[in-house]
Amino acid sequence: MNAVTTAARAKDRAPGLGARALRALVTQRLVLLVTLLVGLVVVMKLLERGGYLVASYSSDYLAASLIDAVPLGLLGLGQLVVIVSGRGGIDLSVGSMVSVSGMLFGFAIGEWGWPLVPAVLFALLSGGLLGAINGFFVSAMGFPALITTLATYYAYSSIALVVNDSSPISTGPIQDLTWLTRPVELPMFGQYVPDFPMGIFLFAIPVIVLLWLNVTRGTYGRQLYAIGTNDTAGRFAGVPVGSVRFRAYLVSGMVSGLVAVVTVSQFASARPDAGTAGNGMALPAITIAVLGGVAITGGVGRVVGVVVAAVLVVWLNAGILLSFEGSEGSQYQLLALGGVLIFAAILNGVTTRRYGGTS
Amino acid sequence: MPLLSGRVTGQELVLLGVITLLWLALGVSTDTFIQAGTLSNLAYNVAPIALVGIGMTVVIVCGGIDVSVGSAVTVVTVIVAKLVRDQGVSLPVAVVVAVGVGALLGLVNGVLISVGRVHAIIITFGTLNVFRFVALRIFDSEQVAGVPGTLAVLGGGQTGETLHVPHAFVVMLLLAGAMWWYMRNTAGGRHLYAMGGDRLAARLAGVKVQRREVLAYVLTGVLVGLASCVVIGGGGLIGQNVGVGLELQVIAAVVIGGTSIMGGRGTVLGTVLGALLVGTVASGVTILHWPSQLTSLFVGVFILVAVGTDVVRERSRRRA
Repeated sequence: MNAVTTAARAKDRAPGLGARALRALVTQRLVLLVTLLVGLVVVMKLLERGGYLVASYSSDYLAASLIDAVPLGLLGLGQLVVIVSGRGGIDLSVGSMVSVSGMLFGFAIGEWGWPLVPAVLFALLSGGLLGAINGFFVSAMGFPALITTLATYYAYSSIALVVNDSSPISTGPIQDLTWLTRPVELPMFGQYVPDFPMGIFLFAIPVIVLLWLNVTRGTYGRQLYAIGTNDTAGRFAGVPVGSVRFRAYLVSGMVSGLVAVVTVSQFASARPDAGTAGNGMALPAITIAVLGGVAITGGVGRVVGVVVAAVLVVWLNAGILLSFEGSEGSQYQLLALGGVLIFAAILNGVTTRRYGGTS
Repeated sequence: MPLLSGRVTGQELVLLGVITLLWLALGVSTDTFIQAGTLSNLAYNVAPIALVGIGMTVVIVCGGIDVSVGSAVTVVTVIVAKLVRDQGVSLPVAVVVAVGVGALLGLVNGVLISVGRVHAIIITFGTLNVFRFVALRIFDSEQVAGVPGTLAVLGGGQTGETLHVPHAFVVMLLLAGAMWWYMRNTAGGRHLYAMGGDRLAARLAGVKVQRREVLAYVLTGVLVGLASCVVIGGGGLIGQNVGVGLELQVIAAVVIGGTSIMGGRGTVLGTVLGALLVGTVASGVTILHWPSQLTSLFVGVFILVAVGTDVVRERSRRRA
């Protein structure tokens, strides 16, 4: 009904192309993100032409930097599922889950000499188990997600540190894993496009496709958005609310397990504080999800939005690194992440009131 | 206990019991815990967390959250430490600057949340990054070394104690007591609970919701300023990672203290006890020579237990 009235109103006033473009820009997160992405590349190219960058903002550089988008984007997708599940859904424990799964993965491959595939499955499984614990407390016991995952953030980070006496594992077999994340030349048409990191094809694309199919085309996705929008309505509609919400946290845990494999091979070492050092991995992941259009109140959010947001932030960071010498760049990355998040959130709030809802 | 009944919540009594038990157990099993040095160190370590916790309790009770306090502490600490070292400002000036800068940072949060009408967790996630950027710019890629002892009167050393009681802890207790009284006994205090319980109903009942919300964040900023003074008083070297992760410790203390994360319920007294419990566990783990990383495991378990009892109590209250 809303669509009809908006369409009717649009016909009455017959807004021009410019007005409609502006409206799409401020009401549709994906349009905004893509515009920002294009604008970013254009600005960086202009800066490069003017000689302001310390190195070339080339397509090879952009392609190689995408490896940073793999952990960020995957964890952002995990947050998407959890936040969309509603009732204050959020997962602060992802960083610790990455640390624990990474250490277990490191043990399996570096100490016990497991082959790669069982070790990756082991990391997935351990991440899934940790996520299941979160899911149990949130869905079965009715604990608030923020507090549950704050508690497990502490507990898991402690386990990751204690399990190998706070020291990293970086034996030979682990150092041989860097091929998992290094850029490779694609077969057939490889010489025409830049070399993309292996991690994109091994980890990012399969997860994105699987999640997208599940969330947009499967029953699970419908149920997830249903309970995220209205818990009670979902229950009356026969949705197994507890089970659906439990699985959201399970997914977040399994994604963390996979991200652990990526970070271990990226740094050629299983570090006990991999996901918790500094501000940890949870805050950037939540930031990416919110920037990608996920509503913190649940029930709203798209896989594509989160993926584009991850690429935007990583390319913005890559550009910032080229614009400053020394450590200044990494500081301005913080400003960019925080600034973009606040900008997007306030814009979202304003457009929701001005135009009534953003998709 | 006629004096205590009705004034102290169940969660607070349970916490008091748990802390007493832990102290007794530690006192019996080790001969170093019940010592002036250990206990005053414990009190000093708890002070900054509990100070910020007072503000965080108010923010959470009125339905918000502030995850940027760690970065705010970093900003205030580096500014004041540099002022004290390079300009040689006196104690009152340092405290006023700290409180002023903290209040300004809180005001930024409050205005963005209240006027922008965006969920508090998103705005403060953003300002967490922005504040950290500001702090790192001021640090200028170096630690702040050789800070003179201007603020030592609030620190953990000899000058910061009277009869082995750290002044920072006393200041914290006084402020917590005042806030506890305010939230229990004044109309303004009850408005905070009303806002957290039902924002719309509170507004319709005449509570100036937006103004109170902004003030809650400003108050948190002021306390962040005081906590930063306590941190600077602790030592002459301020590293770039000062304050990192503080927000989680503070929220843990608030939640263990029985404040509902949904808003509308909770007390400052509980938060102080929650911070004391976390401090006791950390201190106990050190004294028993257990791996210090186990502290986080215990904190996590305590949070789950605290929330568990809260959920159970809330359910039985609803049923009754």
